[in-house]
Amino acid sequence: MAEAMERDTRHQYREELHRLEEQTMGGLELVVSQLDRAIEAIAYQDVELAAMVVADDDRIDGRYLEVHQGVLSMLALQAPVASDLRVVAALLHIIRCVERMGDQCVNMATLVPLTGHEAPKDKDILDLLEQMSNATRQQVREAREAFRTRHVSMAQDLVRQDALVNQLNRKIFQRAVDVGDEPELREWAMFMILVARCLERIGDNTVEIAEQTVFVVTGLFREFSGTPEAPS
Amino acid sequence: MSTIEPKTATRLQLPRISARRRTTDRVMRALLAAATMIALVPLVLVIYYLLKEGLGSMTSAGFFTQDPTGSFFGQIGGIRSALLGSLEIVAIAAAIAIPIGIGLAVFLVEYGGKGSKPMRVFANTVRYFVDVMTGVPSIIFGLFIYITLVISHIGGNFAGWKGSVALSLLMLPIVARSTELVLQTVPDTLREAALALGAPRWRVTSRVVLPAALPGIVTGSLLATARALGETAPLLFTVAVANALTFNPSQQMNSMPVQIYNDILSPRSIVNSQAWGLGLTLVLIVLILNLVARGISRKSRSAGS
Amino acid sequence: MSNAAKTDEQEATQVSTKSAETTTKPGTRQADPAPASAGHSVSVNDLHAYYGSTEAVKGIGIEFAANQVTAIIGPSGCGKSTMLRCINRMHEEIQGARATGQVTLDGLDLYAPEVDLTAVRRLVGMVFQKPTPFPTMSIAQNVAAGLKFTGAKNVDVKQRVEQSLQAVGLWDEVKDRLNSPGIGLSGGQQQRLCIARTIAVEPEVILLDEPCSALDPAATLKIEELIAELKAQFTIIIVTHNMQQASRASDTTVFMLDGLVVEHAPTKQLFTNPKDNRTERYVTGQFG
Repeated sequence: MAEAMERDTRHQYREELHRLEEQTMGGLELVVSQLDRAIEAIAYQDVELAAMVVADDDRIDGRYLEVHQGVLSMLALQAPVASDLRVVAALLHIIRCVERMGDQCVNMATLVPLTGHEAPKDKDILDLLEQMSNATRQQVREAREAFRTRHVSMAQDLVRQDALVNQLNRKIFQRAVDVGDEPELREWAMFMILVARCLERIGDNTVEIAEQTVFVVTGLFREFSGTPEAPS
Repeated sequence: MSTIEPKTATRLQLPRISARRRTTDRVMRALLAAATMIALVPLVLVIYYLLKEGLGSMTSAGFFTQDPTGSFFGQIGGIRSALLGSLEIVAIAAAIAIPIGIGLAVFLVEYGGKGSKPMRVFANTVRYFVDVMTGVPSIIFGLFIYITLVISHIGGNFAGWKGSVALSLLMLPIVARSTELVLQTVPDTLREAALALGAPRWRVTSRVVLPAALPGIVTGSLLATARALGETAPLLFTVAVANALTFNPSQQMNSMPVQIYNDILSPRSIVNSQAWGLGLTLVLIVLILNLVARGISRKSRSAGS
Repeated sequence: MSNAAKTDEQEATQVSTKSAETTTKPGTRQADPAPASAGHSVSVNDLHAYYGSTEAVKGIGIEFAANQVTAIIGPSGCGKSTMLRCINRMHEEIQGARATGQVTLDGLDLYAPEVDLTAVRRLVGMVFQKPTPFPTMSIAQNVAAGLKFTGAKNVDVKQRVEQSLQAVGLWDEVKDRLNSPGIGLSGGQQQRLCIARTIAVEPEVILLDEPCSALDPAATLKIEELIAELKAQFTIIIVTHNMQQASRASDTTVFMLDGLVVEHAPTKQLFTNPKDNRTERYVTGQFG
């Protein structure tokens, strides 16, 4: 009986499911590269780089459509059940998060030409933004790893990381308020608030991906609601 | 984990039949046709002779309406008592053999296989003996009845009903075996469905199995009857010979096979012709019975499909 | 006083057991067009079933909830059909087969030695894989066959036939040819005829052994809809090797493997988040 259980049937189906998952995880990698380039464009006021980010969002949109179509085919043709079904449902959710994260990167990139062509002004805000973007990139990477390896505790850790990101967001806001008295910095700082906001949204999306990871493993869907206070 | 290699494209070709195969085919066909012809020859000859020798007698006046006179001179009469006697003797035999044969088959199929070990052994033994009985020469049955019923003078000396008993012994295994075969072809799913509705086993047999098997049972019975009509030996020892028409089975009765036997041995050629005519009649009756049996089985087959 | 009460209680048990036996006359149990009867649950306890010396069912205990559809799934040879046939005591019809353990219907022991076998089968009806209308009977005779077999009296046969055919959705299709042979119908219609025949004797439980295996998809869906309607009146247990049918048509699912129950859960749960790893592997097609 044990041998019968070891025999792997539905080989093609398993491969297809695996491919769908790889496509979705690949989407997360695209997000990481978009994120890096958007932040660089903002840091160096690189308008051309920003334009590339906007153009490359088409790839993420395309990936979304591919995975969406793949999920529909899988449901219609293969009728997955149990954990396979949970994975397919999760992938659909995750690719939506990927698309949203891609859109946030575009939002950031479109802010670059608006900030003017002078060198950025406030070092503190730039540092905080760098920290925040690093943290966010780390979140995206870990969300991907947690889902790929079905690692529940790694997924749950993303809540803690998100708390840090949210804290950085508040600090940026505070700092922007502080420099708001200086008219040359004021406009730029307000745009930086928007950038921080985009990064924070990206972070929230990784928490959603973490929730899906837990769902796939346990079969229970629990919202990671109310991010705990991060240790200062 | 398929290890089937994809096929490389090749041009499809339909090979022709080789000459050697064609020749072999022709030779085989010729041999089979020859065998068929050889088998048909005796059959055709029999029919030819029957018609040639018997048709005249059979269509002569009084053939069916007069009894044989048995006299050496003068009128020879007809075959009426033989015909009617045979029909009555065989009818009584059928009335004995068919119900018992069906009952035996029902026991073997419905109950014999399913009971306790001793029951199964018993059923298998019965089946074996029934099989053996189908091969026993008919003269043995005649002798058996002669010894047990005739010599012992139970109910008189020779009598029609004793002939019926002998013939029923002959018919019994045929009816039983053919009924058993038909009952076995009734699918078990039907029995299951009836049992699952809450039917006791005897109702399953009487209301579902037997009606479904009925055409086959009728066919088997008709064929057994046709066989019994032509048996001479049992009747010789049990019914003997009579010329006069009688419907009383406790008396000696005339029968067709015995009449043929007597008529052929007669020195008068016109009596010999009567034997042929009687033979033709007998063959015609058997033929009709066979056709009816086949018609029934064909009708049931088309109704069931 | 207490002694008298005890005797009365014993008598009551006797009577109720007897009523299970004497309900071969269903007409006396229900004179009026009855509302859906209160549910009847089937309970299987420590059931072992043997074919000769081979043990096919190795100790099973299941509670089948009343007025629900329970599906039994599992790979070939896991014992699901054997177990089903133990419930209406058809298993023992097979040469050399026997079963030990307990099967109760509403607490009544179906295997008690004094119980009338045909009464058990009237209370627990069965529909088989291959539709088997009786070939020598007409449509109406087929539906009434169960009533005739069990010698039901005081039953308006015509009305019962019409009711049953209505219940399975065949009435409109066959009402003009009730006297034509039962085997003249299509496969799906024949199976519905068999279901009508089963419910005509008014059982409490209906067992279905892979009822749609021999049918085309449209007929299959019709039968599944019928099952969903019938559960209002009967407790239904269906053995199927088609997992999608189990997931479509049942409320509860039991997964069996090698003669034992592995998991017994609400269908939705078993197919989205099964608890046992073997169930997970079976329903996702990794074996079986």
